[in-house]
Amino acid sequence: MRRLVVLLLFLFTAACAPVPGSAPDITVGSAGAPSPADAGEVTAPPGSAAAVPACDATASLRPDGPLPEPGAMPAGSTMARIAARGRLIAGVDQNTYLMGFRNPETGAIEGFDVDMAREVAKALFGDPNRIQFKVLTSDERIPALEKGEVDVVVRTMTINCERAEKVGFSSVYYQAGQRVLASRGSGITGPDSLGGRKVCATKGSSSLANVVSLPSKPVVVSVANWTDCLVMLQQGQVDAVSTDDTILAGLAAQDPYTEMVGPQFTREPYGMGVPKADEDFVRFVNGVLERIRSDGTWATIHQRWLGVLDRNATPPAAKYRD
Amino acid sequence: MTAVVTTPTSQRVTGLVKSTPGRLSLIALLLVAVTLLAGALTAWSVQTRSAALEELATRSEPLSFAAQEVYRSMADADATASAAFLSGGVESPRLRSRYEADIAKAAAALSTATGEISRSPEVGAALSTLSGRLPVYTGLVETARTHNRQGNPVGAAYLREASSLMRSQLLPAAQDLYRAETANVVRDQDSAGGGPWSELLLGLVALAALGLAQWYVTRRTNRVFNIGLVVATGLTVVSLLWVSVASAVVASTVADSRENGSAQVDVLARARIATLTARGDETLTLVARGSGAAYEKRYGEVVAELAALVGRAGELATEPAVRDAVTSAGTNLTAWQEAHRRIREADDSGDYTTALTLAISNDQGGAAAAFDNLDRDLVTAITRARTAFTGSVATARGALTGTVAIVALLALGAAAASVMGLWQRLKEYR
Repeated sequence: MRRLVVLLLFLFTAACAPVPGSAPDITVGSAGAPSPADAGEVTAPPGSAAAVPACDATASLRPDGPLPEPGAMPAGSTMARIAARGRLIAGVDQNTYLMGFRNPETGAIEGFDVDMAREVAKALFGDPNRIQFKVLTSDERIPALEKGEVDVVVRTMTINCERAEKVGFSSVYYQAGQRVLASRGSGITGPDSLGGRKVCATKGSSSLANVVSLPSKPVVVSVANWTDCLVMLQQGQVDAVSTDDTILAGLAAQDPYTEMVGPQFTREPYGMGVPKADEDFVRFVNGVLERIRSDGTWATIHQRWLGVLDRNATPPAAKYRD
Repeated sequence: MTAVVTTPTSQRVTGLVKSTPGRLSLIALLLVAVTLLAGALTAWSVQTRSAALEELATRSEPLSFAAQEVYRSMADADATASAAFLSGGVESPRLRSRYEADIAKAAAALSTATGEISRSPEVGAALSTLSGRLPVYTGLVETARTHNRQGNPVGAAYLREASSLMRSQLLPAAQDLYRAETANVVRDQDSAGGGPWSELLLGLVALAALGLAQWYVTRRTNRVFNIGLVVATGLTVVSLLWVSVASAVVASTVADSRENGSAQVDVLARARIATLTARGDETLTLVARGSGAAYEKRYGEVVAELAALVGRAGELATEPAVRDAVTSAGTNLTAWQEAHRRIREADDSGDYTTALTLAISNDQGGAAAAFDNLDRDLVTAITRARTAFTGSVATARGALTGTVAIVALLALGAAAASVMGLWQRLKEYR
């Protein structure tokens, strides 16, 4: 009888096994806006560790003689090869408003840089429409020239000694400078107030290198395209964007709640990139640039796109090393 | 004084077993236990099979289809948004309504799949991603649309972000969902269509017990047939036959449902997914405008896989309607390849406008028309194969109706008959 009672007690307690009484919580996945593809924080300073000897990269090759007429390019030259192909292949951007962008209404690629490229095509063929655009990110500019995938790159490309070792540059066709773009009321007044704040720039651009080496030590975020920086600024994922004032003007024009702040803290001379071996083409392009500086075309193009920045801009003077 | 002799319990039990009436009672008890147990276990086994069939018909297969629809709608929405971007200007009403229809379909298919989450907790993560990020995707597309309307090129950046979200998070989650649900279909088919080994074994054990009992009774009572035991044996044989035949029919129809239904649907669904991926890559190459080499490479890989899948679907097709649809799909695939070759030719030689027209306009020779026709053919084939599947599963379910009740009744009958039969003999010992 006693054993029966013990057995029953044991069964009873075993049957009343503890059941979890807590109410299950609702688990949430990640919330908030996603980031653009290829966005990431920069931890190591970009570029080669080896010091590049100081040079004057803005000094280009002098044009030899007057410009050849379209259809009468010197035999065996780069220009003749391009003319034989029937079109100029130009590396441009489609994401930088005012400089090189895709017009959402018409789908055409336009901008200051694009008009410059069209001038070169016009000099080669007599027709500014004999041109094929290859859209490149900042990162892809140098490899595209090294592999010969494009004839010329006109894409807010700053001339510096490091790049001049790999590609050829025309003379300076625009003098820009780096500034900072931030939302209104953010408290950012220039490059000195960026300490600990998140700043966006594109991978492979000289702007990124400049931001990384700022004494105020911002947190640097790199993306693939300049408009991705505006997206991140609008989504609250970065506090500021820092690059050339031309590019920033294009970003500010799309968002009235942003403003350019602070002084220009670097000088960014723009040049057209050409494959290193095509020195005759560099001279040709410089000849084209000489012509548009003097006959008012440069001023017209500038007024059309960048008039908002600086109404009285004059074309930068060319410098030659030979 | 008289001495009372009381026999101890153990001697009483041994006495019982040693005598024939005791043994007969014991045999009766054993027979009742064996027949009832065999009946109960057989009924339970048949019930499991029937439940698996019901799951297959009402949950696994519809959910697998819903998962396929989720993938297809979202991938098409993304391709439509890219096509609208490419065509420039304010997007055409046709593309806008196609995009909206796709999002609505994706949301509806998603709510179907989410309704069954308690049954398959392993898809919880995928469903949570899809439900959570789909509104984020549509929000980004709307922002892109607003900016495009203002003439701001930043709209293109929002569209890129949306497309990247779709490709990196939403579409992989939809594929995980599809794979999990298809695995459930296979699991349920295996569970329903397995051979009736346990039922056969139980029936044979019951028959063996009855046979041994009859042999013992014949030896002891010198009567060849005990009516009750014979009836019990007969009932057990009927039950065994019924269950065997029903299970064989179910196994055969489930194999049919696999061959004419789910195996083909799986190949066709994967072909459809490959079609959508290829279309997305084709449009993105054009959006990238010269720097889309990675997309073009992926297009080549996906189209090779698609051609292999369409070929495989043709081999597996068992119905003429499905075979015709797959043949037509193959023709449209070839037409699409031809259009794509012309698109690449135009784009690589600098004629972007022609490439664009070939890719997104609805002219008969263009890629968009070929893609739509290919998709339509695959849908026809999938619908036919699904109909064959649901027909087979319905037949299987019909074969099992009432089997559980019959088995239980026959087991009770066999137990009662064996008790009655042995009672007749026991009465003689009073």
